[in-house]
Amino acid sequence: MLDRAARSTKPGPVTFGILLKLDLESPPSQHSPKTALRFAYSSLSSSSKFQQSPPMSIFEYNGSAVIAMVGKNCFAIASDRRLGVQLQTIATDFQKIYRVHDKLFIGLSGLATDAQTLYQRLVFRHKLYELREERNMKPETFASLVSALLYEKRFGPYFCQPVIAGLGDENKPFICTMDSIGAKELAKDFVVSGTASESLYGACEAMFKPDMEPEELFETISQALLSSVDRDCLSGWGGHVYVVTPTEVTERILKGRMD
Amino acid sequence: MANWSPYDNNGGTCVAIAGANYCVIAADTRMSTGYSILTRDYSKICKLADKSVMASSGFQADVRALQKVLAARHSIYQHQHNKQMSCPAMAQLLSNTLYYKRFFPYYAFNVLGGLDNEGKGCVFTYDAVGSYERVGYSVQGSGSTLIMPFLDNQLKSPSPLLLPAKDAVTPLSEPEAIDLVKTCFASATERDIYTGDKLEIMVLNVDGIRCEYMELRKD
Repeated sequence: MLDRAARSTKPGPVTFGILLKLDLESPPSQHSPKTALRFAYSSLSSSSKFQQSPPMSIFEYNGSAVIAMVGKNCFAIASDRRLGVQLQTIATDFQKIYRVHDKLFIGLSGLATDAQTLYQRLVFRHKLYELREERNMKPETFASLVSALLYEKRFGPYFCQPVIAGLGDENKPFICTMDSIGAKELAKDFVVSGTASESLYGACEAMFKPDMEPEELFETISQALLSSVDRDCLSGWGGHVYVVTPTEVTERILKGRMD
Repeated sequence: MANWSPYDNNGGTCVAIAGANYCVIAADTRMSTGYSILTRDYSKICKLADKSVMASSGFQADVRALQKVLAARHSIYQHQHNKQMSCPAMAQLLSNTLYYKRFFPYYAFNVLGGLDNEGKGCVFTYDAVGSYERVGYSVQGSGSTLIMPFLDNQLKSPSPLLLPAKDAVTPLSEPEAIDLVKTCFASATERDIYTGDKLEIMVLNVDGIRCEYMELRKD
């Protein structure tokens, strides 16, 4: 008896935040006084009827916020700079947006290790394409490639939610996002992903206007990103913003709240 | 029956903004459970006294019980003191009422808005067990994660840790604040399935209480 009660006061497994489950079958009266006290304590401290938080999602392990917006003949893609392990911040200059070529970018939110692995495979596949076709990949084609690579791992996915943004034929802006198994979601205005996605949706929905010029687009995407990550514990520490027009790529680093 | 719960979540979003001489309290009128809409015309806003109005999301059965307790307590107060309760007093009463049921809480997320004794706008924001804070603006309920960053962006309030303490009221004029609330709800309705149908806006100022409505998306 004592052994079981003692075990139940131990903290739960820490790895993916699975909540400690208490064995409540035998009533506390059967324990010795000391055990009964420990029992009451443990059931108060670690098991509440009302707030059983679900186990942590692996998508929230590192924390991220990625966003892309379309303007007039241009687009912007931005992300936060934090890399964390749950609540602890590991790095504050982490790259989540990768350049595929000058008119095509991909932002990878979710589990950082999978994001980097996926990016390496994408670079490899893009290089093979360049060698064979002697031209850059169109954003639409690249989106299909990402989707195919993700679906290859349908039953053991990369825990990433990509955001793809690029300029296609006649410099028409293209943005899209997809889930971790490659279901594409094309959008005309903006796409968001990461742990701050809900905040980002709210901010973008209120701030976005169609056909913005590059300068205004930069201002809007930066305001949306910074105000969203300030309400998310797992993302923040400034931002990376790329504004891409047919003639130039501007990369800017934003300073933000450091908490 | 094996998994019966005394609680439900009926969704909905409440926003309140305090200005120098006014207060705006708004909520949508949709009441839902799960993926179903129970009604498109349910008011989440309740007038507790002449100068305090409460908007509540969460479990509407608990909200009604809470409103009834507050109404009873307020009528006792009126008999004893021969006056209406002030908004800061109502704020403390609401906190105590919520904490009284600390171990079987009202599943209600409230914002209380009104005018204080100097006629300044005030907003109080709560959790379900009565922890509260006086702020310049607040949002509660299912659309809060969508609206909060936008309000932060538009109305950034001074840190409550600053010394000397700065006023939390927003610099906007009354019509600007009403417009901002309308924009917030129009945006939240686009992405939150529990927010929509109609927006009810209560405006408190020296002239009394005024009510406005705006149609929202119904899908």
